[in-house]
Amino acid sequence: MAELLGTFEQSVLLAILGLGSEAYGRAVLNRVQEKLARDVAAGAVYATLERLEARGLVRSRLEAGTTVRGGRARRYYLLDAEGERALGDTRRALTAMWNNVQLPAQEG
Amino acid sequence: MSAQNSGPWRWSEALLERLLPETTRETIAGDLREEFVEGIEPKRGRLRAQWWYVRQVAGFIPWFAKEGRGMSKVLMTLSTVVLACAPWLAVMETILRHPGYAGRIAEAVGIAAICAATILAKMLHAGVVVERWLWLGAGALIVLGATAFLQNARAVHFEGFVMVISLLLVAQWVLMLATMGRKGGGSRPSVI
Repeated sequence: MAELLGTFEQSVLLAILGLGSEAYGRAVLNRVQEKLARDVAAGAVYATLERLEARGLVRSRLEAGTTVRGGRARRYYLLDAEGERALGDTRRALTAMWNNVQLPAQEG
Repeated sequence: MSAQNSGPWRWSEALLERLLPETTRETIAGDLREEFVEGIEPKRGRLRAQWWYVRQVAGFIPWFAKEGRGMSKVLMTLSTVVLACAPWLAVMETILRHPGYAGRIAEAVGIAAICAATILAKMLHAGVVVERWLWLGAGALIVLGATAFLQNARAVHFEGFVMVISLLLVAQWVLMLATMGRKGGGSRPSVI
């Protein structure tokens, strides 16, 4: 089993998965904010992206920049097979952990 | 407002680029500029967008600190400079013998010892436990640095050398907190 992912790592990987070929830094940041329904520091997202790439869970490619970016390149991210496996493992582990668990406050 | 004359303050963009490693500098700065121009500024207005950008830049500081990007080298250099200055301070105090000189000699020796321990810990790649013990030394440095700074600022005879040393001690404290005693830096595995 691959190493289990933290909540924020899962959010970033799921954002990449959801965005498909449009998963570049800004889009990932916005998607994560939208899903978590809160402001997220850009630094946190980029640090996570870098860490995930170093662990081989995502890979990236560069594309030419636009005028609005001051000509700076865009880095697009793509989920790797290892990343997909890690997401699956984490989901299974979480589901198993929560199976038949009822929080005391929600009990009848 | 056109994309050409819109954009974050130059200094904040320059600061961001200074903080980022070369490999990600261009893409991250580009993403944030794009978000600023197309997302934040039209929604929140220019001034609030600038404030947003500054907060984003500040958000990169913990990352920069955690990864210890180049900061360990700066800490080593700074520790070496202070280590070289401390004996000189002790010798000068011994020669001048101003009131309270014995205490200041002891402080200079203490500072030299902390600097030497810091350099050794970094050179020998001492473990997290050893580095965490050095946080005690960091605590001593900030107390000494801040005290020396304040006393010198209030003193009748301002001493530039003491001011420089006190600022160096404060800088060393910041770097020690940022780079020492962290398990695996930013690359530590995360768990649920």
